[in-house]
Amino acid sequence: MEHEELFPLLCATAEGKKDAFASLYEKTSAQIYAVALKMLKRKELAEEATQDTFIKIWHGAASYQRSKGTVLTWMVSIVRYRALDLMRYHNIRNEVTLEPEIDLPRTSMPFPSAEKRRLAECIDGLEDPQRQAIHLAFYGGLSHQEVVQHLDSPLGTIKSWIRRGLQSLQRCLSL
Amino acid sequence: MNYTKETLRNALAAEYVLGTLRGGARRRYQQLMMTSQLISETTWLWEQYLNGMGETISPVTPDDKVWKVIQEKLGFIEQAPKVTQLDEARQQKSNKWRGPALYAFAASLLLAIVWTSIDPILTQPASQIAVVNDEDSNPLWLIEISDKHLRVRSTQQLTAVAGKDFELWIVPENGAAPISLGVLPKDGELKTPAANSLKSVPILLLAVSLEPLGGSPNGQPTEVLYTTKLIKV
Repeated sequence: MEHEELFPLLCATAEGKKDAFASLYEKTSAQIYAVALKMLKRKELAEEATQDTFIKIWHGAASYQRSKGTVLTWMVSIVRYRALDLMRYHNIRNEVTLEPEIDLPRTSMPFPSAEKRRLAECIDGLEDPQRQAIHLAFYGGLSHQEVVQHLDSPLGTIKSWIRRGLQSLQRCLSL
Repeated sequence: MNYTKETLRNALAAEYVLGTLRGGARRRYQQLMMTSQLISETTWLWEQYLNGMGETISPVTPDDKVWKVIQEKLGFIEQAPKVTQLDEARQQKSNKWRGPALYAFAASLLLAIVWTSIDPILTQPASQIAVVNDEDSNPLWLIEISDKHLRVRSTQQLTAVAGKDFELWIVPENGAAPISLGVLPKDGELKTPAANSLKSVPILLLAVSLEPLGGSPNGQPTEVLYTTKLIKV
């Protein structure tokens, strides 16, 4: 799903064209739903997050800017924020059984863009505990405290892994 | 804290996007984004950095009903009745909103006429306007809708409620669920691109609800406070 394919659909959606919005849904909903399901675990909540995301996209298509990432990245941002809100609202405590290596970009993206390839390389370049803690927070929507329980390390250590991991990621991506 | 410092700004943005910034700190950060372009841009940068990871998850096709509900909520298709017949359900839905609407309408109309005559500074002429009044007919927000923009101005009569936001909704004429137009400003004015629903959905009323900070947690109004009619000008 390339930005070049989705961007015209988003532009037409911003003009109120329902058929373009339907195509956008057809091309992206499986990815958006997968992100929601991974974080929320419960089907009905993942469906709710997906619905809310596309309603927000219909209303807010005109507010997209390239500086917010590709169209799909922007849509992933929307569903992740919505999923985090729903987790907070439903007081979901995450008990993930995450297999951190399963979702490494190189395994599921046979022809990634240069940007995504770079992201995968930079994530691969992180120290193991840093990568694991960031993966748990990102894919599972875990809080610092929940990552503590999962990795069985003190809170200060977890916060430090995440902070340093993010700093390293930024250095690597800015190169 | 000095949010202009690059290191701190990046650290906060990264943890906000990752989702590990929680509770009060998360809410304060959301408020900062509303007031600082620099903070918003740093957040967008981190969305680009991190949310690409979301595209690496194997896709899962949602049930067909998800698309159906989206279309219903946007007013593209009729909402299926659950127990009552469709006509009856519509009637009930309309009646629920009718009482406060009638009350608000007369005051709105008068104020709208006065207001439009004193507000010539519009980039694009408003095609519809509304005034949201409180129980004592004090105007709280002035709403203008043009082809391209929704502009909302709060008045000095408005008193913010601590820890709460006000959210604006379309109440569709067909009895479908209310559609959010976003959180209202507590002071000053807000101008945003006009939502598609303002053009595509026949509107019975506009409603304002009281919500937790950031807006409705479940996509539906929590506590409806006021309603008003849109007036074509």
